[in-house]
Amino acid sequence: MTANLALATAAIPAAAPATAARAAAAEVQIDIRNVGKVYDSKTTHQAVIALDGVSLRIKKGEFISLLGPSGCGKSTLLGIIAGFQSASSGHILQNGRPISKPDASRTVVFQDYALFGWMTVQQNVEFGLKAKGLPKAQRAEIARALIATVHLSGFEDKYPHQMSGGMKQRAAIARALAPDPDILLMDEPFGALDAQTRVLLQEEIARISTEAGKTVIFVTHGIDEAVFLADRVVVMSPRPGRVRDEVLVPLPRPRTAEMRSDPWFVSTVKDLWETLKPEWQKGD
Amino acid sequence: MEAEADAGRLPVETTRPRTTMLQTAFAGRPMRAAVGLTAFFAIWQAVTQLNLVDGFLLPSPVAIAEALWQLALDGSLWIHLGASLQRVAVGFLFACIVGLALGLLCGWWRTVSDYVRPVIEALRPIPPLAWIPITILWFGLGDAASYFLVFLGAVFPVFIATYTAIRGLDRNQMNAALCLGAKPWQLFTDVLIPASLPIILPGLRIALGVGWMCVVTAELIAAQTGLGYLIQQSRMLFQINNVVAGMVTIGLVGFAMSAILERIERRVNAWAPSERS
Repeated sequence: MTANLALATAAIPAAAPATAARAAAAEVQIDIRNVGKVYDSKTTHQAVIALDGVSLRIKKGEFISLLGPSGCGKSTLLGIIAGFQSASSGHILQNGRPISKPDASRTVVFQDYALFGWMTVQQNVEFGLKAKGLPKAQRAEIARALIATVHLSGFEDKYPHQMSGGMKQRAAIARALAPDPDILLMDEPFGALDAQTRVLLQEEIARISTEAGKTVIFVTHGIDEAVFLADRVVVMSPRPGRVRDEVLVPLPRPRTAEMRSDPWFVSTVKDLWETLKPEWQKGD
Repeated sequence: MEAEADAGRLPVETTRPRTTMLQTAFAGRPMRAAVGLTAFFAIWQAVTQLNLVDGFLLPSPVAIAEALWQLALDGSLWIHLGASLQRVAVGFLFACIVGLALGLLCGWWRTVSDYVRPVIEALRPIPPLAWIPITILWFGLGDAASYFLVFLGAVFPVFIATYTAIRGLDRNQMNAALCLGAKPWQLFTDVLIPASLPIILPGLRIALGVGWMCVVTAELIAAQTGLGYLIQQSRMLFQINNVVAGMVTIGLVGFAMSAILERIERRVNAWAPSERS
């Protein structure tokens, strides 16, 4: 699991100590221990190994990108962390306790938004607060503040079908933040958006996650997105899904647009692409 | 400059269709419905008035209207209509309770569906008409027999709609609700029900239509009141005008029920893609 990329051992820019110190000081929040997932294929009667011996320790406040081609099991891993499905072997601990089912300490942002179409933006964001049993006035107040955070003020009474993809995903992010979770799980959240919207939302999520101080696990197959956002990029390989590499990102947070032209950023993205290319091509 | 002027001239077609007042009036759906129905009755009237069809075989709309007026005046129309509506309401209610419950159970639990659906799919092809002898044996002549036949006609569409709706629920939406901390009741009332209404409500509308047909069928044979009974009795008395008057009432009431339900659907499911064309 040691980084076999040349870039990981390269000279680390001056900003590194702060990040490293912050990460070291925080305790392990999510401890993924030797997790495997096997599916029984109903059509071919063959077991499909989606995940094989995945171990990963995630510290409080850390931003992790799970990077890999399609079919590498990164979304499956996220689903197991969320509690939507169970691991076939191994287990995942959250603050020392095993995760068995979904709860509001780990909320998810989905690629297809999964907003409730029959609710307004306001009602969508209030959903988790209602589940918590908060009184109406307080719910409305918190939701309005979050809607402002994701720059959707004025759209409170719109329905999801009246908004663009980018706006829907902003609403979904506000909804996921509403119950004040410890961990935000994002499953290729910008995958369905156009390039410009994606870049804008990447910067938004960089800002919001830093401000809110949440632990974030961000699943993506976009290399630049993974590196731009994360403190640590976990690279996965497909069939069976394994952790193949880890890259520590020494760029300071919050991340800003100009860091995309930082020489370290550019070379890291390029090197990652070179290493992953054969696998990506195979995956297709 | 010249090229620009040419380019400017080309795409501007001045033959844009002018909308007249008549066209605006006919753009509305209710207006078109009224025109369609009026034309239908007008052609019917013409066919009978010109003696293209024997007035005894097919009474003219005017004659039927007179018959209806008479039935309304002596009150028998309302008694029969009321009896039919009451029966369809009771039978439909039972069909909703059973159909929704079974649909929910089968949609939610694969195992339940594996056991229950074959039974339902085997019962479903039996037409309500074929059930009549055994229905009379079980319930005798009267309201109970009609309730049962309406129930039989309506329960399958309710079941299928509910089952399909629950099976088709978006997994991600359910997961989203769960990870936001939704308790089972909130999941049911705030997610499961509203998400499945766009499929369940049209199913209920179809079921009510089938139930309405069944009640008339039941009354033709197994009742002493109702529109079906009115038709049957008039047939024996050779009051062909009343027979068709009964049929027209059935048609118009069924049309009205469907229209009302559709209106409710549009309102409830305004958010759904199916209602947004």
